Amino acid sequence: MTLPLLDLVKTRTVLLDGAMGTELMARGLPQGTVPEAWNVERPGLIQEIHGEYFAAGADVVLTNSFGGSALKLAGYGLGDRTYELNLAAARLAREIAPAGRYVAGSMGPTGKFLKPQGEFTEEDFAAAYAEQARGLSDGGADVLLVETQYDLREALAAVRGARSVSSLPVFVTMTFNSFPRGYFTLMGDTVARSAAELEKEGVGAVGANCTLNSEQMVGCVRALRETTALPIIAQANAGQPVIGQDGRVGYSQGLEDYVRFVPEIVRAGAGFVGGCCGTNPSFIRAMAQIINPFDTPV
Amino acid sequence: MIKDELLRSMNEAIVAGDKAAAVALAADAVRSGADLLEVIEKGFVTGLQKVGELWEQGDYFLPELISSAEAMKVAMAVLEPELNRKKIEARTGGKVVIGTVEGDIHDIGKNLVASMLQAGGFEVFDLGADVKLERFVEKAEAVGARIICLSALLTTTMTNQKRLIGLLRDRGLRDKYKVLVGGAPASRKWADEIGADGYAENAVAAVKLVRTIAGRD
Repeated sequence: MTLPLLDLVKTRTVLLDGAMGTELMARGLPQGTVPEAWNVERPGLIQEIHGEYFAAGADVVLTNSFGGSALKLAGYGLGDRTYELNLAAARLAREIAPAGRYVAGSMGPTGKFLKPQGEFTEEDFAAAYAEQARGLSDGGADVLLVETQYDLREALAAVRGARSVSSLPVFVTMTFNSFPRGYFTLMGDTVARSAAELEKEGVGAVGANCTLNSEQMVGCVRALRETTALPIIAQANAGQPVIGQDGRVGYSQGLEDYVRFVPEIVRAGAGFVGGCCGTNPSFIRAMAQIINPFDTPV
Repeated sequence: MIKDELLRSMNEAIVAGDKAAAVALAADAVRSGADLLEVIEKGFVTGLQKVGELWEQGDYFLPELISSAEAMKVAMAVLEPELNRKKIEARTGGKVVIGTVEGDIHDIGKNLVASMLQAGGFEVFDLGADVKLERFVEKAEAVGARIICLSALLTTTMTNQKRLIGLLRDRGLRDKYKVLVGGAPASRKWADEIGADGYAENAVAAVKLVRTIAGRD
């Protein structure tokens, strides 16, 4: 019987996977194609990516459902396939996961604004995330991971939506930018307020992902640890996207430099560590050696 | 000459995101027959510049940016009909097609540039956001615009600025249009690399650039 993730993290550092988007693009995902569509059109490729991350040593993979909220999919005319695409996402990961490994249902932002900046209410958002959560939960996810959130109000609505349809643990990672005054989301949410409100809302783990490189993530994890006793999740970017001479997108932080800061991220208090934009299975392989040097990836 | 205190109030209305104050001050300016271009550039736009500084310092975030942009929008809504009415006397800078490239929905900056170009006497055809590249060309051809302005906020969509230039070349239209680029990931270096005719860092610089380029024709 596999230990629940929240129990596992009490015993050791847990390794999440790296970027999915860039792996899809490397496998030819055309610009303008909804990544979640590949859960149905190219399931083999999706499982190949998950398989590579598991082989690299990831304990947990995130499903290919980052843009899978009903509101986001509706923008592409796929709103009525929300449940189907998320169900497929979770099933693919569950099927390919070796025994003793985990599947986290990825739930990224809707891309819309709440009132007064936009036209949507928290209830609209909760419903959009709930439909997604149903699919991920039914598909076999172990936990739900509301990620890359830049609006605390949206994150809280997502948690409420998820918990209204699923009893799975809900984790949340926010995207903070580093400013002279500290870490803030695009909407101006602080680390302290985000962690406190999310903890009150009943999340099982809280953290940060995206935008910050691994060096900047250390400070962010420290700030989180000062506010909360919940397990902390850290998925740093490999720097910022840059356009190469050939027009292709690369990332500014190299593998060696990225991995150099991982021990500090763990020491700062992160229980779950993975990678975000610009990372790939080699990053995860290197991190596996650092985090659990005596465990050989299966 | 507009009183400094009035200009300061306009600045503050934008910085505070105070739509009511912005509208009232704009209406007063119209009623009093003030030089509307001065009102815009020395009053309201200076507020936008301050907002830009506050954003960079990490004191203003997206909600503040949006409410300031909204205040600017309502002020412009009062001033634009008046500017259009006076157009025969004001300089007509020419026709400009503007939009955010396909795949990209960010439009706050682009909207500001469009408003300010209109305020500056240009006839602006704003195609919105997530605009298919062919549409920029179609519109420019259809209305006889000479300048195409492209905005992109994502590294992954800024390549569409390069592709648009390629598209013009493929159709033998490259020399017919001036292509200007903007958006956070863009730069002068990027503009040179892709063969664009110019780059501007913000809305104020964009208007200056368009004026310079239009003036050369």
